[in-house]
Amino acid sequence: MRALEPCATGYAERNGVRLHWEQFGAGEPTVALLPTWSIAYSRHWKYQVPYLARHFRVVTFDGRGCGRSDRPTEPSAYSHVEFAADIVAVLDATGTDRAVLAGLSLGSVWGLQVAADHADRVLGVVCFGSSVALAPMLAERVVYPFDQRLTSTEGWAKYNRYYWLEGGYLDFLEFFLGRFFPEPHSTKQIEDFVGWGREIDPATLVAIEEGVMSGEREPMRSVCARITVPVLVIHGDEDRLAPLAAGAALAEITGGELVTIVGGGHGVQARDPVLVNHLIKGFVDRIAR
Amino acid sequence: MRARYPDHEGFVERDGVKVAYESYGDNERSVLLLPTWEIVDSRVWKCQIPYLARSFRVVTFDPRGNGRSDRPSQVSAFDRRELVGDAIAVLDAAGVERAVVVAWCTACGVMLAAEHPDRVTALVEVATDLPLSRDPGEEQGYPFDEPLATDTGWAKWNRSYWHRDWQGFVEFFMSAMFSEPHSTKQIEDAVGWGLDTDWETIALGMDANWPRDREQALDLCAGPRCPVLVIQGDDDGIVGPARGAAVASAVHDARLVLFEGSGHAPHLRDPIKINTVIKSFVDRVGGAPMPARVWTRGLHRSKRALYLSSPIGLGHVRRDVAVAHELKRLCPEVQIDWLAQHPVTAVLEAEGERIHPASRWLANESAHIASESTEHDLHCFQALRRMDEILVANFMVFQEVVEEGLYDVVIGDEAWDVDHFWHENPELKRGQHVWLTDFVGFLPMPDGGEHEAYLTSDYNAEMIEHIARYPWIRDRAVFVGNPDDIVPDRFGAELPVIRDWTAEHFAFSGYITGFTPPTAEQVPAWRAELGYLDDELVCVVAVGGSGVGRALLDKVIAAYPMAKRQLPALRMVAVAGPRIDPAVFPTYDGLEIHGYVDRLYRHLCVCDLAVVQGGLTTTMELAAAKRPFLYFPLGHHFEQNFHVRHRLERYGAGRDMDYAATDPDQLAAVIAENIGRPVTYCDVETDGAARAAALIAELV
Repeated sequence: MRALEPCATGYAERNGVRLHWEQFGAGEPTVALLPTWSIAYSRHWKYQVPYLARHFRVVTFDGRGCGRSDRPTEPSAYSHVEFAADIVAVLDATGTDRAVLAGLSLGSVWGLQVAADHADRVLGVVCFGSSVALAPMLAERVVYPFDQRLTSTEGWAKYNRYYWLEGGYLDFLEFFLGRFFPEPHSTKQIEDFVGWGREIDPATLVAIEEGVMSGEREPMRSVCARITVPVLVIHGDEDRLAPLAAGAALAEITGGELVTIVGGGHGVQARDPVLVNHLIKGFVDRIAR
Repeated sequence: MRARYPDHEGFVERDGVKVAYESYGDNERSVLLLPTWEIVDSRVWKCQIPYLARSFRVVTFDPRGNGRSDRPSQVSAFDRRELVGDAIAVLDAAGVERAVVVAWCTACGVMLAAEHPDRVTALVEVATDLPLSRDPGEEQGYPFDEPLATDTGWAKWNRSYWHRDWQGFVEFFMSAMFSEPHSTKQIEDAVGWGLDTDWETIALGMDANWPRDREQALDLCAGPRCPVLVIQGDDDGIVGPARGAAVASAVHDARLVLFEGSGHAPHLRDPIKINTVIKSFVDRVGGAPMPARVWTRGLHRSKRALYLSSPIGLGHVRRDVAVAHELKRLCPEVQIDWLAQHPVTAVLEAEGERIHPASRWLANESAHIASESTEHDLHCFQALRRMDEILVANFMVFQEVVEEGLYDVVIGDEAWDVDHFWHENPELKRGQHVWLTDFVGFLPMPDGGEHEAYLTSDYNAEMIEHIARYPWIRDRAVFVGNPDDIVPDRFGAELPVIRDWTAEHFAFSGYITGFTPPTAEQVPAWRAELGYLDDELVCVVAVGGSGVGRALLDKVIAAYPMAKRQLPALRMVAVAGPRIDPAVFPTYDGLEIHGYVDRLYRHLCVCDLAVVQGGLTTTMELAAAKRPFLYFPLGHHFEQNFHVRHRLERYGAGRDMDYAATDPDQLAAVIAENIGRPVTYCDVETDGAARAAALIAELV
């Protein structure tokens, strides 16, 4: 059973792709909890929604490719541009003029893009485990190419289209989520995310991965420099997917606040929900009094 | 002593009236703490200044009519608009462009914000007197200007009564201001400020122009466009409990904070809460950037203890270091940080202990105690009461440390601020709390009469109520000693017997000397090491670490020539301590005077006689080492006169001396009589530190 059911649900549609959104609570302002990489759908905010909805209006939606949103098959449907545009479309569909955006990992990249392009729609951005290209990737992540057949299936070699498509997907998920949650005693969080990951077909995830990696993109530094709204960066110092240095650089460039979680990994919203909930609430109270 | 002194002070002059202002700190954002009615001066903000000045530039001024400002003799000089003019002149003089204004009672904050929006970024109104609801005093309907047949209650709000008995009015009014129990110190302060001016001055102010009716008040409230925070006590006996809500609803952008159980001056009676409310309001309206923060996951944290060692007297730190060493032995994984001030820090640094960097913000309690002492006299109960603003200032530092520092346990050896204010603000408690003390119960000195007995029993009653209401604030209370060491007195006429209550609420560690005294066989080796010859009669004179010891030292040195004639083998080793210049004393053959002596206890352990004050640490070191000694309790020092004396009598240790009644000749004779005398004291345990540490370790 969910702790809180939505008070309204619906679909936003862009170019024939339907995006499933949910709305909770009725307070002011609206906090939009953004999709992340489609390996997990909007349920990854399950620890935030009931609390935030008692204070604010909360909107969540499933990213294209997962949950109850459509799952186009061509990679071009999964570019950064599309994901960012989806956010605006959901704000429109839910009648939300302005919102505080909160995103995890890739979600924070898309939220920042919207904040830069549509400052009039965004009150502020909360960024968790931001996979922003503002610091070198962790060395272990750049060893193996995604789209070449590898001889190894160890470690990050599992992050590979052939491995995913040829029976290794579940093994990949387990490896990946272990990296995602390096905190001891994270069995439930890993189990949840593996479960959500299994709801998506590996072929779709390959298309998403190719889409996300393709296309011309404005350098992150330039996106960040255009941001005028308040930014809160929350980052674990043991994040093994996106280094803390990236989050710190993000805070610095945007003039944002940085909260470092010592001992925290990539999924701090799931692993340290009480702290994260209070941080979001405090930030929203400060910027949208 | 104040907890913090201004960095800049001066006067502004308008129409020949001089107004004294002070400015604290050089932070970017400014807070102006406005004076209120001229019946008090700017010292009403004494509990706010040290805390706020760490984050903001704080400006205060005395109102015309009180403090160091002039007392003009024309009615027009007290027009409320003049105070607004003074405020602007003070801001100009202090070089402050814009400030958050904090006003208590006076309507001038609202006027200032309305008329000078470019100078006021936000406004805090504490218990405002704008007449938007009825004053409790009004309800009795006494006219101010006509002589009355009665002078009870609000009939004292009357010109002819003021003329007749200004002090009577001030005492009535200030008592009405503090409806909270146990407010003796706050009332006493406020009465002092009220008596610093006179009835004629206050009567001029009564005739001057100020908002008197609802229409005027509503007009004023419509003025400010800045954010306003209204603070109101729901037991306010001066403006009534409904005032805050009325003002908040009449002001454009106001938020009300209600203090339940509070009277008219919560900034004096509940300074901790007010301070944090003001600080977060100023932070919010100021849009200050949030500093980078770090949060460490629960299981990721190492175990940490924060140790506070009272700097009043040098005795605590020695035993606290011993307890800390034992604690580290029992729990090697626990990191101990010290929040400490001079002279405690000197000992800790020598021991290689970790001193928390926030220690530098602490106001010096030892200096305060020194400032309270006169010739061999220290009224330590009153000195502690008068340390109120220092305790507030230091508690605010402490609280920031525990909120950031992730401590598992706070160990306070007579850390009065922590224990008191955590009971007053129980929601602020962080971690386990260990309270250590070597005495329980304030006791009145006989010459303080009934009033002092009333005050000590009121302080004791508040402490007893604290413990009864919040038994979870002290996770462990450790009495440094044994049940028999406790005085047989009551906390007060209607209050429990101290010994019974303490036995019920404390664990006992036994006495903690912090060292193991030499056995009789070891004494010669110790003496040799310290350079004392076998045929010398060594008399050590030690007068503690503060300046109060000077008088006793003078007297002992005056006795020296006479004593030396009677005892040719006499060698007198006097220790002046860090605050007395050894060079001021006469020199004699066989007399040496030292400033600071490292590990003084070693000298005490092997001397043939010691002459000391009545402090617990030194006398118990001598008791433990079984040396003959003369002790002179400081005048008016209830702890030395009652608690320590009781304990020493139980051990059969030392000879109790009366400073005033002993002249140098007599002293020389007593020295001669007692030096080298065999003693038969009860044993002092040597495992006190280990026992105390074991009691603490159970919590860690």
